[in-house]
Formats: sequence, structure tokens, C-alpha cells
Amino acid sequence: MALLKKMRHLHLRILPVTAENRHFLLRTRGFHKHSTCQSLPAVEENVLPGNFSAAAVGKDGPLKTLKDMAGPSTISNIIEFFFRDGFSRIHEIQQQHSQKYGRIFKSRFGPQLVVSIADRDMIAEVLRAEGVAPQRANMESWKEYRDMRGRATGLISAEGEDWLKMRSVLRQQIMRPRDVAVFADDISGVVTDLVARVRALRGRQPDGLTVLNVNDLFFKYAMEGISVVLYEQRLGCLEERIPQLSLEYIAALHLMFSSFKTSMYAGAIPKWLRPLIPKPWEEFCHSWDGLFKFSKVHVDRRLSEIQGQLAAGQEVKGGLLTCLLVTKELTLEEIYANMTEMLLAGVDTTSFTLSWSTYLLALHPQVQQQIYEEVVSTLGPDKVPVSEDLPRLPLIRGLVKETLRLFPVLPGNGRITQKNLAVGGYLIPAGTQLALCHYTTSLDEGSFPNAAQFLPQRWVRKDATDRVDNFGSIPFGYGIRSCVGRRIAELEMHLALTQLIQKFHIQVSPLTEEVRAKTHGLLTPGAPINVRFVDRQ
Amino acid sequence: MPTDSTGSHIIRMVLESHFLVIRQFCCYTRALRSENKVTVSFINRDGEKVTVKGSPGDSLLDVVIEQDLDIDGFGACEGTLACSTCHLIFDEDVFNQLGPITDEEMDMLDLAYGLTDTSRLGCQVCLTKSLEGITVRVPESVADMRESDFGTTSSSS
Repeated sequence: MALLKKMRHLHLRILPVTAENRHFLLRTRGFHKHSTCQSLPAVEENVLPGNFSAAAVGKDGPLKTLKDMAGPSTISNIIEFFFRDGFSRIHEIQQQHSQKYGRIFKSRFGPQLVVSIADRDMIAEVLRAEGVAPQRANMESWKEYRDMRGRATGLISAEGEDWLKMRSVLRQQIMRPRDVAVFADDISGVVTDLVARVRALRGRQPDGLTVLNVNDLFFKYAMEGISVVLYEQRLGCLEERIPQLSLEYIAALHLMFSSFKTSMYAGAIPKWLRPLIPKPWEEFCHSWDGLFKFSKVHVDRRLSEIQGQLAAGQEVKGGLLTCLLVTKELTLEEIYANMTEMLLAGVDTTSFTLSWSTYLLALHPQVQQQIYEEVVSTLGPDKVPVSEDLPRLPLIRGLVKETLRLFPVLPGNGRITQKNLAVGGYLIPAGTQLALCHYTTSLDEGSFPNAAQFLPQRWVRKDATDRVDNFGSIPFGYGIRSCVGRRIAELEMHLALTQLIQKFHIQVSPLTEEVRAKTHGLLTPGAPINVRFVDRQ
Repeated sequence: MPTDSTGSHIIRMVLESHFLVIRQFCCYTRALRSENKVTVSFINRDGEKVTVKGSPGDSLLDVVIEQDLDIDGFGACEGTLACSTCHLIFDEDVFNQLGPITDEEMDMLDLAYGLTDTSRLGCQVCLTKSLEGITVRVPESVADMRESDFGTTSSSS
């Protein structure tokens, strides 16, 4: 009976999937119709696509072609990026170029033409026109590694029908807020450890208050938090002695991150040049090996546990991973790949945002006080927040939104157009790489008055019909290829920030000067953020 | 590979047998519910009115899928609150009696095309007996707008 009860629980989560299967089939049918994303020809900027051979007409007259579009010259791009370390300032260059060349402009990176869009309404047009399996960027190098090792692709690296199938399965598990709320207790357990860790770390400093490089702490929190959800297991990242396997993973993740630029080159360097410049590709493969190994160990461990439980006639209880292993909607290789890619995507992104949040709170004591008062009036000084409390903490939600507006962890996102598109008076042919400039739009005065100011309050609605945001700040993206881990990340951040604000007065450490953002694949703090955590009571 | 091992075979068997039980249970409740169906009319983008029946507890997105209503691009994220393509417009009195609206739905509504004061996402509105006979309007889609923008030149795209 207990097993039945559990199975019913599982089933309740699975049933919608079965109900959706028809839906999915309908969509796949539609998919064949617009399946244009495979092997698109390189875009020639002065050639109109076939069906636009006559002058295409937009709402404001004839459409211009890419040839007419302004943008920096190839030479100036090379100088900017390779000789003036433009890669770390991509977010600022995005802003400068959009001021100079307009809200839609083109750039060339070697053979790659990129059309940048730094206008919220145009971004909305692009995202609303998406087909059933949008494509973000060329993921050839990721795919090549996976083919070489006989591994499957996951949600980041897969395209087309493969992607659609996996997305359809995973979104039914971890995207609905009510499904994700189930993880709140486990995540709260991780927050408890985070608070204890803050106390332990500050105790080591002469002032007894400062946590040095707070991102290092949040990295471990984020890794522990996402692992509880993905692997249904604690990893011990917030313990004094981190288990060896977790340490190895952290090293692989750091290598992946520190070699981000290199791994971009790994994809950019033609295969025939690899014998001459082997390092980028080798490091790329090495860090992926580490990441996959970690996932495989944890997935296999859970699989053998389930097998043992079933053999002993015990009930099988579990969350995401158990459900994936039991229902077999994904193959084991697909589970490895998705666990790997979701873990990769769910650590730095969350930790940088938490770091920026604490930094902004420390810089703005009045704002922090206002949020503190909301937290205490809702929860009192001691109550541990649960997911049901979060709707009553609008400023906590506002804090995360405002942090991501000022420091969108993905300063730009990519799309490859899958059909011809008219945007901003230009005809953009299918197969064009677009860069959606979120950093620029989220700091645009037109969308956000006093855009440079940190005002979490701007996100708080007066009532249910009060419309607050728009496509100017969409840090998790929009639509069917938006961040699959969004609700998990939000839950992790909301629960952690609520407790940190409830328990500590967060202050800037004199050790920290102004910290500026730097692009390193993601928008990262350019220097260590050191903050003081002073007990509230 | 462990997927082919006996253990996972057992999982499959156990699951299948229980699914059968639960499925029968669901069919039973569904049969009970069919007497209590709720009538809903959709006014499609071309102004055509389609009247269908849905079960209490089902969302309006479920109804659109189950009844196979042809609304292009509707419910792209399958009700997971990642898009706003199941945006529907209600009469004001109906809108006021719908259940509470979550922050996540409001955030997504902010990104809906053709938003009105009585807009909701179809995936978040569940049928109840008190909604018997309501009419909801499907807003004009971006695709419609684009079509008219392009004029005749691009109709082949």
C-alpha cells in the first residue's frame, strides 16, 4: 500500500506528461513543418533570400537588408576584442555600440556575422516569433565532444527534435512553481548550513565579521542547493571538509569556467589547426570529462539504490532523478547529459547573483532596512521561511529582479533565426546569429527610470492589474527555450536572501573597493566581494 | 548498461501494474465528472466562436488541447509558466470571479502580446461549475500582426 501511495505520488507528477503526450505529438508534427534549423547555409549579408526576391515590405515601407545595417568594422572589432581585452567588457561594448550604431547593428567576428539587438520591443518581436525548437547558438564543439565520448546531448547542447523531447520531459518536472515548491524544505536545509558557514567563516577574521570573497561561499551554496534537487543528495560543499568527489567536481567546474574563453576558442579553432594549438581543445575535453564523471557517479548511485529498494520490496521515494530513472522517458545517457548540463548551468549563475545581491544590499543600507522590515513583519525574527511565505515577501522578489536587472548574469543571449524575420526595418534572413543585448536594455532609461539606481521597490506591484516589467529585463529569457532552472534558482535565491537579511545586517567591508562587473562568459564580479555579516540580535 | 538489467525491468513491471490501477481509477473519476462538464466558448482570432465542454479542475489550456482547438502557437510551454502564449481575455465580471493570480503568472502576463486589464493565462485558470457558459477571447497573435506587416510580398515565407 505504501508503495502504491508513493507510486501515486510519482504518478501524479507523471500523469500530466502522459496527458501532454498528445500535445507533444501535435507539436512534433508542427515541428516538421518548420524544421529549418538544421544545417542552415551561411548568411550572405547582401543577398536576399529566395522568397524575398522582390523588395520585401515592412510596416514602415520597404525593408532594408543586412548590407545597409551599420556596425563596427571587422578591424576595429579585432583590435577591441583581441588587443584591448574586449571579451571582459562585452557588456560595456554592447552599450557603446548600440549608442553609436543604433539599437540594431551588425558585427563580424571572423567569418561569423552577428546581428545585435539592443531594443526591448525588437527583442520581444524576435522571441515572440520563435518556432517550436528555437536555437541559441552554434553548439558544434559541445556536440563534437559528446559524439567523441559516445555521450548524449543535454538541454544546452541539443537542438531540434532531440532538444524538444528532453525539454518536454524536464519542464514537466522542474518548471511549474508548484512542482518546484516541493524542493523548498531540502533547500531550506542547505540555507541553514549556509548561515552556519557564514558564522564559521567570519569567526576566522580579525574583526569576527567579514566573509572574504563571498562568491566562494555562494558558489558552494548554489552547488549544494542544485544538487539536492538534481541528485536528491547532499554533497557536503558547505562542510568544513568537503568530500573528495565534490572537490573534484568543483575543480572541473572551475576549469570549465576559467577556461571559458579557451573553450570558446576550442570551438572556434578549426579542427585541422588543433595539432598546432592543442591546449584549448584538450582542456575543454578534460573539464567535460570531470563534469560527466561526477554526474554519472551520482546518477548510478541513485539507480542502484532504486534497484535495491525494489528488489527488497521497499517503496521507491524520490524526486526529479528518481522520476527520470523510473519512468525512462529519457535514456540513461540523456539523464547523465542533462544532469551534467543543468548542474553546470545552475551554479555560477546563482552564486554571482547572490554575490551581487549582498553587495548591493551592503551598499544601500536604507534599502536593506526596508527589506529587513518586510521580512521581520512577515516572519518575525526567527521563523524559517517556507515557500508559502514568499508571495508575502514582494521586496525579496524585487531584490532578485533588481539585482538581475543591474547585473544580468547572462549579459546577452543568442538566437539563430529559423525563418526570415523583419525586425527594426531590416530583413534578417533565416540562419542569422542574433545577439540579444539584455545588459543594454535592462539599463535603458526608457524602460527603467533612474536605471542606474538600485530600487527593488520598482518591481513591487500596487495590485494584480499593475504591470511592472517588460522585455527590457528578462534575465531568464522568455518562451520555450528560456532557463529551465529558473524556478529552482529563484527558490534558492529567495530562501537564502530572506534568511540572510533576517539574521544579519550586511555591510561593506573596508577591504572592498568599488566592484565592477566583468564578462567572463557570464557577468561576474570583477573583484572579490568582501562583506560583513553583523548579527541582527 | 544498467537500463537493461533485471532491476529496471522490475521497476517497469511494478510501475506498469500500478499505472493500470491508477489509470482505471482516473477513468472512473473522469466518467463521474463527465456529467458535470462545464461549457466554454472561445472566440478565435478570426472572430469564429467555438463552444466546447471541459471538466471541472481542467485548465483552459487543457481544454484547448483536449478539444484539439486550432489556435496557432497556443500554450507553447505546456503550462509551465515560461511563456505567455496561452493568453486569454475575459469579460470583466468573469475575470473578477477567477481564482487568485500568482506572482509568476503576473510576471508572464507582463510579457503577453495584446495585454488587457482582464487578461489571464489559460494554463492558470481552472474550470469550475460557476464558470458555466463563459466566453473567452483569444487575442490577436504576433503572427497575425506580422502577416499584415509584410503585405503580400512575404506571404510565401
